[in-house]
Amino acid sequence: MRDDYGCRNQCTSTRASQCLSSAMSQYFHSIIESSENSSFLYPLHSEVKRGLSFWLNVLTQDVTYFCPFTGALRGIVTVSNYRLFFKCMDREPSFVLDLPLGVVSRVEKIGGASSRGDVSYGLVCKDMRNLRFAHKQMDDTLKKSIFEVLMKFAFPVSTGLQIFAFEYGQVFPENGWKVYDAVSEYKRQGIPNESWRITKVNDHYELCDTYPSTLAVPVNIPDEELKRVAAFRAKGRIPVLSWIHPESQATVTRCSQPMVGVNGKRSKEDEKYLQAIMDANAQSHKLFIFDARPSVNAAANKMKGGGYESEDAYQNAELVFLDIHNIHVMRESLRKLKDIVYPNIEDSHWLSNLESTHWLEHIKLILAGALRIADKVESGKTSVVVHCSDGWDRTAQLTSLAMLMLDGYFRTIRGFQVLLEKEWLSFGHRFQLRIGHGDKNHTDADRSPVFIQFVDCVWQLTRQFPAAFEFNEFFLVTILDHLYSCLFGTFLCNSEQQRLKERTVSLWSYINSQLEEFTNPLYVNFSNHVLFPVVSLRHLELWVGYYIRWNPRMRPQVREPVHQRHKELLAKRAELQKRVDELQREVTNRSASSSSERAGSPTRSITPVQTFV
Amino acid sequence: MLTGSKSTFKVRQMGPDIKERMLNQGGMTARGRDVFELRCLPGECVLQRAVMVRKKLTAREGRGWLSGTLFCTHFRVAFVPQDAPKPDDNADPVLLGDHDVALASIEKVVVVGPNRTKLVTPNSSLKFTPEELVLYCRDLRVICFLFDRLTPDAQVIEITHTIAKTYQPLKPGSVLSFQNAALGSVEMKQFLSNRRRDAHMNWHESAADWEREVERCGATGWRVSSVNDRFEMSTSLPRFIVVPQKVLDTELKKSFAHFNDGRIPRWCWRHPRGSDLLRMASFQNNIYHEKDDIRNLELILFGCHSSACVVVELGEELPSPADIQLAHGRLRALCLGDISTSVTVPDEKWLSTLEGTHWLDYTRWCLKKASEVACLLRGGHMTVALQEAEDRDMSCVVSSLVQVMCDPHCRTRGPGDDLGDTEETMSPSWPRNASEFPGKNWKKSCCGPQLPRRRSRVLVVWCLQAPVFLLFLDCVWQLWSQYPSRFQLTDDFLLALHDSTHLPLFSSFLANSQRERCRRTQNLGQCYTPVNGWRDPLHTDSGPEPPDPPLPPVWDWSLQYSERRQAAFTQPVPQTPQPPSLINGNLNTHQDAYRPSDGTPGSVFLLSRGVFSCPTNLLPWRGGGAGVSISGVYRKSHRRAPSSENVPGLERLLKACSLSEAPSKPKSDPYEPLLPLLMGPCMGLWRECYHRGALHAQAFSHPLSANHCHPLELLAREVRRLQARLAQASPASAAEPRPAHDANHNANNGTFLFPKSHGAAASAPKAPSAAPAQASSPAPRENANKHSFLFGHASDTRMGRANSKVAKSNPS
Repeated sequence: MRDDYGCRNQCTSTRASQCLSSAMSQYFHSIIESSENSSFLYPLHSEVKRGLSFWLNVLTQDVTYFCPFTGALRGIVTVSNYRLFFKCMDREPSFVLDLPLGVVSRVEKIGGASSRGDVSYGLVCKDMRNLRFAHKQMDDTLKKSIFEVLMKFAFPVSTGLQIFAFEYGQVFPENGWKVYDAVSEYKRQGIPNESWRITKVNDHYELCDTYPSTLAVPVNIPDEELKRVAAFRAKGRIPVLSWIHPESQATVTRCSQPMVGVNGKRSKEDEKYLQAIMDANAQSHKLFIFDARPSVNAAANKMKGGGYESEDAYQNAELVFLDIHNIHVMRESLRKLKDIVYPNIEDSHWLSNLESTHWLEHIKLILAGALRIADKVESGKTSVVVHCSDGWDRTAQLTSLAMLMLDGYFRTIRGFQVLLEKEWLSFGHRFQLRIGHGDKNHTDADRSPVFIQFVDCVWQLTRQFPAAFEFNEFFLVTILDHLYSCLFGTFLCNSEQQRLKERTVSLWSYINSQLEEFTNPLYVNFSNHVLFPVVSLRHLELWVGYYIRWNPRMRPQVREPVHQRHKELLAKRAELQKRVDELQREVTNRSASSSSERAGSPTRSITPVQTFV
Repeated sequence: MLTGSKSTFKVRQMGPDIKERMLNQGGMTARGRDVFELRCLPGECVLQRAVMVRKKLTAREGRGWLSGTLFCTHFRVAFVPQDAPKPDDNADPVLLGDHDVALASIEKVVVVGPNRTKLVTPNSSLKFTPEELVLYCRDLRVICFLFDRLTPDAQVIEITHTIAKTYQPLKPGSVLSFQNAALGSVEMKQFLSNRRRDAHMNWHESAADWEREVERCGATGWRVSSVNDRFEMSTSLPRFIVVPQKVLDTELKKSFAHFNDGRIPRWCWRHPRGSDLLRMASFQNNIYHEKDDIRNLELILFGCHSSACVVVELGEELPSPADIQLAHGRLRALCLGDISTSVTVPDEKWLSTLEGTHWLDYTRWCLKKASEVACLLRGGHMTVALQEAEDRDMSCVVSSLVQVMCDPHCRTRGPGDDLGDTEETMSPSWPRNASEFPGKNWKKSCCGPQLPRRRSRVLVVWCLQAPVFLLFLDCVWQLWSQYPSRFQLTDDFLLALHDSTHLPLFSSFLANSQRERCRRTQNLGQCYTPVNGWRDPLHTDSGPEPPDPPLPPVWDWSLQYSERRQAAFTQPVPQTPQPPSLINGNLNTHQDAYRPSDGTPGSVFLLSRGVFSCPTNLLPWRGGGAGVSISGVYRKSHRRAPSSENVPGLERLLKACSLSEAPSKPKSDPYEPLLPLLMGPCMGLWRECYHRGALHAQAFSHPLSANHCHPLELLAREVRRLQARLAQASPASAAEPRPAHDANHNANNGTFLFPKSHGAAASAPKAPSAAPAQASSPAPRENANKHSFLFGHASDTRMGRANSKVAKSNPS
């Protein structure tokens, strides 16, 4: 019966994707105004019920909020050590703003004190919006101004306070830190096996402080040699296994650039090591090295001691540059995108403005790179090595996207959490630096939307394969919201070594405690399908549900019930299945008692009909 | 094998041998199929054939390749997959199979050789053996055939040349010859004339059809007038028009002269809250207005709302047909690309080039205008009159869109549709609004009209398309994509309609007006008699023509699409609850309703560029003067000048469509218009239509099985299967093989999937032929069940539709 649904079959349906997005969008549009039940507040409510208090209100004041869409609104703002909450009662329904302070990138005073004594200041947020407030100059000089309070609590790192996640003590039924266990994930992939072993050489982060403690490496390279290889790779980030194909044994491995330098240095150990990676896959006598950078940038890195593998030194290896730009280009691109979507959108030049941000072009290059990697592994049965400069930005994007295309497990909710824990968190994507949690230095050149880009790419995949992912758009938006919120410990710190898991709550605790919110009703478990997305710009779209969600004109006017209807169908099916089973049983009983030759026939079809969901 | 054919091969004239072959095959295929499994139409001849050809499948078809045999007949290029089920000789002919292309849809033939690509024209010679044949179609499909090494070279070359020679060049007269090729055989004519028209659909042709529509809308105060029965008043208007009851035909007659081309204000549709939608051409200004005329004109314009009338000027803010044509041409060029010229737009420039076509701007403008009108209509008691100089282009688009937005009936798929347009049918415009073709809507109760009738000039002059109708389709698609669950029809239906407009076979799209349509079908029943002194320009120059074959309406889908494809025209899941039927068309409970504050009768406002005004010269018969527009100044004329006090009230109505406040309303009211989001990021490109070309498909093609289904389809299918098993297992039937009816009956009960009134009558034509198939498949139950999902058999037509898209793929 399973065959009915095909087995290595691609599922593309734009019709569904349309349904999907409209159905989902209802969730996050509700965040800005509307109910107080929005997800941000969830912990607050439960916390109130339990009588706990992690929140500490520090200020309440009458202010005017200048909404770029509806004009000035008078209301009350409350600032706590976690969030800013604004409520305007003048309108119906009441207007609510709820903003975790972690989202604030910059607080600035606008125009100083005006003649009328108003103080005005703006908040530049990391999540594609800017807010502006004003209030009367206060006579009571003893009272702290909102500006001071915000500066203090929005940037705890700069002011010597603790990030809120360390104070947040919400207890969830599930402990999200247990979602990922390196050894069991490798075991799921069949590691160790005859070619790959798990090493504890980095147990105390001595080999490489940005790598996890558990690594998978080729069997025939002893730990001693790993250390010599580490010397030749930037930051000691040696090639290690990310994923292995269950059938062909072709692998995806990741590392940082080799320290070739201007003189073209070589390392026997490194060459032998890559040879070992190639040899571990009997299907192919070739190894592809994907360098995520444009070749010019890769060459320029030689000046700084880095560089790329020369094909002379690495026999049987083929080097491919993927032309993905660096973090600075990406940051600039997202800044331009924010300019054209917030607050106003110029309809008549929308597409050319969008083009000029190059955002989709960058997305396309990343997806195209991941697609090439996935294709080499799946169709070419060839192992690949992926690196950029340090191996923690573009490399993480590429390996995790390729793994998402190759392995259906990562397309489930828990699998995706494992993927993030593994490829991003344990392998040291520098979240603290890239996001700048609690740091007021908003011009820091290390900030960059690398992770957002990755989530955008995932969203593009979900658009093209609406039934292939167990999670929905809301899940992705929630992850991005908590990337900044500093409520959970998941995205704090730069590496596994620094992360203090026990002292914070994991985002997965929260998510896994209410899975139904995040489940895609259209999901079909095509677990062994490989997704090959179309990466032409003609088939990519801007993720309006994230980037433009603050614009009230984007709100779907009518809640699309397709999603709902699908759930109804599921329920209907369950009910029918039950009735079928009952009747079947009845028939079986009856015919067993009457005629013996008829008895056999009904049993054959007792196998459950449903094969998915 | 042709010797020497490799180096130079001139297209051969259709030599005697080919003719002979045609004759032979013609004989052989009189009613049957070619030896190679092509099911020919009556009278169709196979000109050429090539074996072992592979067809590239699009993303929608599941990607990958399908191998089979390629045919070129004098009507189409047909492809028969190797493992295709045997055609049923007794089934009614289907003009085009799933993989076929009509010759008339082909725009360009390009071949790809080892290192080169070449555009093939009827006169070109081929110096290489093509490996790939790419057909660029007018409907934006790009179809790609790959010749395997197993295909004999001679066949490859010959079929390429045959296609290049026989596809329809854009010449006057070629349309007719194509029609004759397709439908001209005696058998075909007979077959077509025996087809019954769908009685459930409102064709908007006869007075009764119009009365039905008036009644459906609850438009009291309006009547159907046959004053134009002989097209004496206006040649471009339909025979029957809907006008206020208060105006007598004799009075009406005097009014025609005051409007361009005699297109007086006519009723299109009534909003359930009581506002009426009218359309009209511009005024003839140089005419003297007698007192009586003025009274009549005012009556006609105000209809039954003496209080307020808003004239919506369409000319200024909407694209002209020339603009649309230009935009569409650019869009086509952009989306199709062309490997023979390699001028494909680079990916990085895609967005700005797309913007440069202005196509999306135009759809936005049309939707915006229609949203404004919809908001006005929703707002209260008034008459909204769309005015356009000729009243044949954008007024069709806007009036139809307004109905799609406001009238759930227009979002169902009727079997037919509209064409019959209504009233106006005329001119190059399509029907007017109001159309409904309830037909076999799947819920008879709701009886909705379907898509409004629209016909555009597009097809009219087939060769000089002004794709106004295509713009309309795109607008409907935008609405559909934002509110998929509010439509009964699917994008597959829109796509089918899109493609059919490019096929010059359907009466629905070929005439400019009802008058022309009538002329075409004269032989079937004269519907008008030439009037003295009035000459038909068309006739004079066309001279003695061979009698045209009878053209079927496009809504006769089974001529074009298999049951399987047709099933995909309807959403698999139930419609949102149907609106209660209207008693008197008056649902006016809306609090925002606009009420003229001073009760002055006869206020007329102009809506232009989103602003209301009351210029004194808006109605040429009022205000007499040179028309200095001084709003708010009381001017003495034969009536009071409209007061501008009402303007804010009207503007409030319009604000709803600018959205900041609209959405909070519960959607319980089915007549709440579907107001689309019109911001740049919300306007999508209809990729399924414009990007069907294989060219952009993807970097790596992987052989994949062709059966991907929409998850909803799978689910619907499964529910269906469970129901079948339930029926099968139900105690009553378990004991003995039960008659098929029972199964359906059972399956039908208590399921919310399939509305119980499934329009059995409507599906009648198909049912008899399918019945035997079912009877003969008692086989293993499971099989039979499975089967039923694929080819809706017998009782299954309904189910097939309900399951809708089940069938895009063959499970197996």
